[in-house]
Amino acid sequence: MRFNDAVVGAAFLLIAAAMIAMTFSFPAFPGQQYGPSLFPRIIGAGIIGCSALLIVRGLRERAAGGRWLQPDDWTGNPRRVASFALMLAAMAFYVVASEPLGFIPCAFLIQLVLFLWFGVRPLTAGVVAATMTLLVHWFFGSMMRVPLPRGILDSVL
Amino acid sequence: MSAVATAFGLVFDPYVLAVIMGSAVFGMFVGAMPGLTATMATALLVPVTFFMSPVPALGAIVTATAMAIFAGDIPAAMLRMPGTPASAAYADESYEMTKKGQLDLCMGVNLVFSVLGGIFGVIILIVLAPVLAEVAINFSSFEYFWLACLGLTCAVFIGTGDPLKGLLSLFIGLAIGCIGIDPAAGQPRFTFGNVDLLSGINFIPTLIGMFAVSELLRGAVTMEKAGKMVQQSVGNMFAGLGGVTRKYWKNFIRGSVIGTVIGALPGAGADIAAWVSYAVSKKLSKEPEKFGTGHIEGIVDSTSANNSALGGAWIPALVFGIPGDSITAIVIGVLYMKGMNPGPTVFLQTPELIYAVFIIFILANLIMFPLGWAAIKSAKQILRVPRNILLPVILIFCMVGSFAMTNSLYGVVLMVVMGVFGWLLEEHGIPVAPLILGLVLGEMLEQNFMSSMIKSNGSFIGFLDRPIAGTLGVLTLLLWGAMLWKVLPFGRRQPAAA
Repeated sequence: MRFNDAVVGAAFLLIAAAMIAMTFSFPAFPGQQYGPSLFPRIIGAGIIGCSALLIVRGLRERAAGGRWLQPDDWTGNPRRVASFALMLAAMAFYVVASEPLGFIPCAFLIQLVLFLWFGVRPLTAGVVAATMTLLVHWFFGSMMRVPLPRGILDSVL
Repeated sequence: MSAVATAFGLVFDPYVLAVIMGSAVFGMFVGAMPGLTATMATALLVPVTFFMSPVPALGAIVTATAMAIFAGDIPAAMLRMPGTPASAAYADESYEMTKKGQLDLCMGVNLVFSVLGGIFGVIILIVLAPVLAEVAINFSSFEYFWLACLGLTCAVFIGTGDPLKGLLSLFIGLAIGCIGIDPAAGQPRFTFGNVDLLSGINFIPTLIGMFAVSELLRGAVTMEKAGKMVQQSVGNMFAGLGGVTRKYWKNFIRGSVIGTVIGALPGAGADIAAWVSYAVSKKLSKEPEKFGTGHIEGIVDSTSANNSALGGAWIPALVFGIPGDSITAIVIGVLYMKGMNPGPTVFLQTPELIYAVFIIFILANLIMFPLGWAAIKSAKQILRVPRNILLPVILIFCMVGSFAMTNSLYGVVLMVVMGVFGWLLEEHGIPVAPLILGLVLGEMLEQNFMSSMIKSNGSFIGFLDRPIAGTLGVLTLLLWGAMLWKVLPFGRRQPAAA
């Protein structure tokens, strides 16, 4: 999936403009023209310069018959789009559910669903998901002492 | 001399040796799996090394990357899929050799010249770094400012196919680096009142997102693509090696020199070293017509080059604190997190640490020999690990690793955001390596810029007053001029819209 360079340029141009606008609320060093706002402004100007050139290039490409949005071949394949979405959904699920459910159920579920979706046989999927979850929990939770969320297993662990 | 002895003591500790062995196996595996890169191996290792003291942490990263760069050669020859981008330059050539029934020789050459190239790079590092550090000790904020500018410019100029997009990526990285408390005045910037953002964008989750999560997103839509495994079994890898060495020892030296130099240039790493040395080899060869048909000559050059680039990349990283490639960018980030300022003062204050890095480097290249041999022998089993099991497991590692960096969901959220952002950037041909360099160097650049501004009372002339600063400054400005010429629409050579 690829947008025309002009679209990309315009997006970054807007972000950089917003960034520069925000620097005007920063206090200056007393009696000096440079302060915390100087560096971000230079960077912002750099982004705007690059974006402007990208817009020029994109418009030329468009004039030469380019498209605003060039889809990849996988975007036409529903199964692959679903694979992509599922990967993102797995991460979103972890962010939302890991605190209430706990690391172990979350990691197990995510792996199990992804394994099954990608065509791993159910028995293998279950065994690998359980083993890897416990292994990661042991390594990071016990060895490295990372406070992985306990969630519903709080009383057991 | 006592520092060297201390360094030996630090490295030859059972715990450190165990870490080195473990990361060697890990690096071998990640490098050998197509789609998993050496940078990704480093990104996944960092959360683990975060809890270690500096020597084992550096040992793990040095060893894993050295192994991964070599191991990338294995699937290149067997599946025609380079295990890491650093092997892409000669993947076709290796595969042609395999088709001609020369898999043994190809693997033997890859292993031996990877080891030799790696050691060559380390020797240059050992010889050059202390000398350069003595020069660098006299540098002030002016020199460091220009050095950082020069390094970042090189990264954009040579490290990317499209300088305009590389430059944009660099600026984005620098802009992301501005988030948090500013280094000169302590003013919070772009935090939107969020407490997590006050400490800045955490480097490790960003890294995991950009180098691992984006790779997973790409992997999810190409799951069915798999190379066809060759049926040849590996026999005696070392037969005929003597002849190759006698015939092509000059290629080895040339490849290693090119690799070390390109590795030392900021922003360009092992992959570019391999491409360049392969091209040079073809250009200077007596039989260029044989290239591409399974000819060993170019492989000698480029397999030496990509491993020597690893040592080369550490030269600017250790001496100036300016990373030579994205792997050393990660290392510098790790050193900062451990409260150490990479730069010439490390040579004075903790020389044993520098020597320890040297020793680990040599050690890593030595154990590459038996371990690489074992990896080639068991390649069929390694390459049989299915991607549909590997990718979800890596996803879990990414999330736990990011969580461990902040001990909160902030790390995971940051990883997801940066992963999607990095994926989008790469989809649009914007490379992420300059962004990571910008993020790592942003604070140092701004700090040196601001203190230089204060020292020179806001006058830009002061930036060019000192002789070395002046030279570096003029060099940087010339490079910028050349870049502008290349990028602007009316410039001589307009880059093709990629």
